[in-house]
Amino acid sequence: MDFLIHHMLRHSAARHAEKEAFVHGARRLTYQEVADRCSSVACGLRSAGMRRGDRVGIYLDPSVEQVLSIFSVSQAGGVYVPINTVLVPEQVAHIARDCGMKTLITTPDKLEILLPVLHDVSSLQFFVLAGQSNGQDPAGTKVDSKPAHGFEEMLRLPVGDCWQDWGISVDLAAILYTSGSTGKPKGVMLSHANVMAGSTIVSTYLEISDRERILAVLPFSFDAGMNQLMTAFQQGGTIVLVKFVFAKEIIDALISERVTGLAGVPTVWSLLANGGILKHKFPDLRYITNTGGAMPQAVLKVLREALPATKIFLMYGLTEAFRSTYLPPEELDHRPTSMGKAIPDTEILVLNDRGERCQPGEVGELVHRGPTVSMGYWGNPEATNRVLKPNPLLPPELGDCEKACYSGDLVKTDEDGFLYYVGRRDTMIKSSGYRISPTEVEEVLFQTGKIRQAAVIGIPDEVLGQTIKAFLVAKDSTQLDCDAIQGYCMEKMPRHMVPKQFEVMKELPKTSSGKVDYPALRRREGL
Amino acid sequence: MNDVAENKNATEQIREFVLQKFPLARKRKVADSDNLLESGIIDSLGVLDLVAFLQQEFAVAVADEDLTPENFQNIECMVRFVERSLELQPGSVE
Repeated sequence: MDFLIHHMLRHSAARHAEKEAFVHGARRLTYQEVADRCSSVACGLRSAGMRRGDRVGIYLDPSVEQVLSIFSVSQAGGVYVPINTVLVPEQVAHIARDCGMKTLITTPDKLEILLPVLHDVSSLQFFVLAGQSNGQDPAGTKVDSKPAHGFEEMLRLPVGDCWQDWGISVDLAAILYTSGSTGKPKGVMLSHANVMAGSTIVSTYLEISDRERILAVLPFSFDAGMNQLMTAFQQGGTIVLVKFVFAKEIIDALISERVTGLAGVPTVWSLLANGGILKHKFPDLRYITNTGGAMPQAVLKVLREALPATKIFLMYGLTEAFRSTYLPPEELDHRPTSMGKAIPDTEILVLNDRGERCQPGEVGELVHRGPTVSMGYWGNPEATNRVLKPNPLLPPELGDCEKACYSGDLVKTDEDGFLYYVGRRDTMIKSSGYRISPTEVEEVLFQTGKIRQAAVIGIPDEVLGQTIKAFLVAKDSTQLDCDAIQGYCMEKMPRHMVPKQFEVMKELPKTSSGKVDYPALRRREGL
Repeated sequence: MNDVAENKNATEQIREFVLQKFPLARKRKVADSDNLLESGIIDSLGVLDLVAFLQQEFAVAVADEDLTPENFQNIECMVRFVERSLELQPGSVE
């Protein structure tokens, strides 16, 4: 019975021992090789002192070691905490402190940069260093008076026949740090059951099989990125890792590795759409999925032209509930701006402020119930209680046995129950009695064809309550004519939705996950 | 403006931008010939910033086929790319 994350790997190794599990550049590993190496590293972690439930940070670029670490930590009975390497040392230190990290798996070079800020992380007991620095084997050495074990040395450890798992499916498996709209990033806790349910559910509607070759361009610290890895290993497919800077690198990997599945965020699709995707053919690419924000309609148009035989899935999920909705590809023509419906074994409720179901067209908060609802935020019960709350639609006799996830995302449905993203609860603009979705206004701004990025916020106004200010980034080097853009908006929107003020910027402020940082824009306005 | 002065100017401007917008480049005191891509100093979002900068400062057109490591891997390559683009642009030589 598979009930822990590494069981999925074990199961696939039993079925497909010699099958290619994993590709990174010239390095290719079979399922048997991956499973054996993970068992060895798990042994190494336990001998080094890891105990059940210990948090193990993984601060590695996309690599063999990164993937092995995730499954090894699971097998050793620990909790893996993948950390995006674009984070700066202070952010890594915040994560280490916040989760009481006991072990950090990284490289000697990266550790050197982190050390000055890791001094005061008292929970840290030992390091595991992947790769050699200056030809020295770190085994048996000490860094900052803590033992530093060699990852490569752990790989050579023999594994006994009597391996015992420590955990069960409801145990904490992973902590994914995610930025909220305020404060420092919070650690979303996922159980083994959460991660495996997400994998099974997504594999079902994407019809992922052992024939799949999935290209991973999203970081594993991002729930959708991690889910790609899990679905591949659960189904016995192949995961191909690539760290890209240019769209061309993704295109080359798609073609040379005969990739069948690719997940991306809107930025990735914009890069590909502007990066020559139309000049190539991708006969093997069976599906693509978008998550992490609405795909601009202009980009979607290019992708549909470039990938006529590829199924395009628009998906939505928030880390707190792992995965939530998807739009079946056959609906793309009718509802290209929809985020679809609930994923299998999941119910999505749209609730108004009184906790009642919204009517079609009425804007409410997306509330998610199902097996991927996370365990909340590590060490932060107050924030957890704001997001995970009893389902108000259940009979009171059930008590609060079930927690539903209140997403903070405002959505509405059409008559057929398909969901549409409206905006974040905290960015909604209200002007002259109308509720206005920032994304609706921004979509029109994009339609001018002159804009690469746009964000709108509400500015207090004595008469109207709020008016709209737009921050714009030009698509090319031409000067933006804001009067003309406003004129365009006047044609496309009712007057209350048209921005009254414009500011042209070189780049919009972004959160570390690449989303527009609205609080930063409000701060610019002294709000 | 003669070629040498223009050349120096472009190198200085690009170096200044890279050092200003990419803290790791500043921290590691990168030289004009140091690889910025392999060392992770410039990532995919960083390239977008660079492209925007080159377009704005030098009024060069950056086509999708120009977005390659050969043009962006270090400051020297970027300067050469700008020079080539300016030469190719009709009416850009004054």
